[in-house]
Amino acid sequence: MRLTALFGEAFRLALWSLRANKLRTFLTLLGIIVGVAAVITVVTIIKGLDQTVANTFSSQGSTVFSVSKRPMVILSREDLVRFNKRKDVTEEDAEALARACSSCWRIGIAANSPNALVKYGDQKSENVLVRGISLSMFAIDDVNLAAGRTWTETEGAAARHVCVVGADILANLFGGASPEEVLGRTLRIAGQPFEIIGVAERLGSIFGFSRDNFVYIPYEAYRRVFGGRTSIIIFVQARNAEELEATKDEVRTIMRNRRGKTFLDEDDGFALETQDVFLDLYQKATSNIYLVTIGVAAISLVVGGIVVMNIMLVSVTERTREIGIRKAVGARRRDILTQFLVEAVTLTAIGGAIGVGLGFGTAYGLALVLGFPVLISVWSAVLGVGVSSAVGVASGLWPAWKAARLDPVEALRAE
Amino acid sequence: MNETTSTVADEVSSYGEILARDGVPAALISMRDIWRTYQMGEEQVHALRGVSFDVQRGEYVAIIGPSGSGKSTLMNIIGCLDTPTRGRYWINGKLVSEMDDDELARIRNKEVGFVFQTFNLLPRATALHNVELPLIYAGVPAAERHERAKRALMSVDLADRMTHKPNELSGGQRQRVAIARALVNHPSILLADEPTGALDTATSREIMNLFERLHAEGNTIIVVTHEPEVAARAHRIISIRDGRIEKDERIK
Repeated sequence: MRLTALFGEAFRLALWSLRANKLRTFLTLLGIIVGVAAVITVVTIIKGLDQTVANTFSSQGSTVFSVSKRPMVILSREDLVRFNKRKDVTEEDAEALARACSSCWRIGIAANSPNALVKYGDQKSENVLVRGISLSMFAIDDVNLAAGRTWTETEGAAARHVCVVGADILANLFGGASPEEVLGRTLRIAGQPFEIIGVAERLGSIFGFSRDNFVYIPYEAYRRVFGGRTSIIIFVQARNAEELEATKDEVRTIMRNRRGKTFLDEDDGFALETQDVFLDLYQKATSNIYLVTIGVAAISLVVGGIVVMNIMLVSVTERTREIGIRKAVGARRRDILTQFLVEAVTLTAIGGAIGVGLGFGTAYGLALVLGFPVLISVWSAVLGVGVSSAVGVASGLWPAWKAARLDPVEALRAE
Repeated sequence: MNETTSTVADEVSSYGEILARDGVPAALISMRDIWRTYQMGEEQVHALRGVSFDVQRGEYVAIIGPSGSGKSTLMNIIGCLDTPTRGRYWINGKLVSEMDDDELARIRNKEVGFVFQTFNLLPRATALHNVELPLIYAGVPAAERHERAKRALMSVDLADRMTHKPNELSGGQRQRVAIARALVNHPSILLADEPTGALDTATSREIMNLFERLHAEGNTIIVVTHEPEVAARAHRIISIRDGRIEKDERIK
């Protein structure tokens, strides 16, 4: 009973002093607001990105892996030199897998030309990803068409100059024509004519990079146009996620045999990867962002805490007489201590709440601009307010203790 | 529950103390050879030099003396805001001269009602809230607190000013709020320090009349003052000079 009365009194006091000094309160809380807002913004944005990334990579699914000469992510020059010395991955490798690999469900091959020049009439587009693929790649990559069709086995084997294009091609070369309108038109890829027979559904962008700026052509046609001496990528799909590891092992064994590797050789001589490589890289990057943000937030919370402590000390000095009056009518040390602690915590908790609001607002605005979903998590809000309350306790303790120890006679004499 | 036991414990321990020395003082306030010494650098200043007196329940006492006589120090000790350097002091049979900070806070809360020259009201709180303050620290539930604070304000004729803040009240009204606050927890003594020092003559008279009425209702009142007119209202005058009692006379 006594405690509730005291907390009520302390809380009422806290609101009084907040209202009496609105500007001072705001300035006092700025550090805490910024710290909490920064964390909330970053956490919310990364949550949204996680969602986007998860959706993106799940399109190929967790049953697909690739076999290539070089891994997708190379972290050093020494590695690059080493990987370049490896044997190329070839069509023969793919054929061998198709023959020998019993657990492989689908096998596809792809060769990429990432910065090809594509023209239509006098329109041209650079930096188009031109991909020569086997027909099975449409199934492995789960490509859905907005219009038209894929090529047939016969067309593929005959190296016919046909292509399936991404949505960006329509925007960049056809002035935003509809998918149906561009069917039958002829593009020039590396100077050669290719007829558009299909348009893929829009995939959208990730981290600001479009995933729709591509042209798929039959692998046989690709080889004739771009030459056959590049290393290809073999994509293998297992029947289901449970069999993925077994399938990878089988493919690894077959490929090592073909490269003449014994169990003594540490290096496979090829890279066998799932899209987890990208996920790992992404997670590494975001965990670094988290760390930096937490560092920044910690600094602003410490600075914010010092500011709050300073203002609480001022408040104790200003209210020395009030403390004297309270002691004269029966307040004990712990009553005064409680009063100032509750005041400090109320102050910083409000700062934390403002920070949470500001953080969600900023994240929402950024998400709107950059185009990914906003995931507001309750725990980050609770944590934001909780941590700033803890800062309030830490920075309020000393001023409150000073107030509690004041001598009543001295305090009553103060102006 | 707790409060009862601690009160009993206080009484038991002070009872033991008393038995070991010179018997239980029957008076409401009992001071024996009170000294208060301040250390001013190298020098020791004796504000009180062996003050002894008793005040019985229901008395109306004025403590007078020139400035620097030690009467403020004496008032602080009577009100348990300060503790004597030497000597023993009982309120209501409790030996307060040996108490620690928190025990003294409890005595100030339960046994003493202060009225100050400068009123000492919380400026941001309403009259009602100011009067409730001692009850908050006594742990009185909110509903009872409001009720008692209202009754205290009514008893000083401020029923219509409860929601006003101190700066919306006249000096006399402020002092009456302070008196209501002093009385709200039914203390053993009402201790007033120059209660009319900041008031004009007419208002002073009004406040002194109120004191007289409160005395008639059975309250024990101690007024510290240097104004002869104020002291003349009391039934007994204790004169302090140079830290000692110079005169202690009953005038009514």
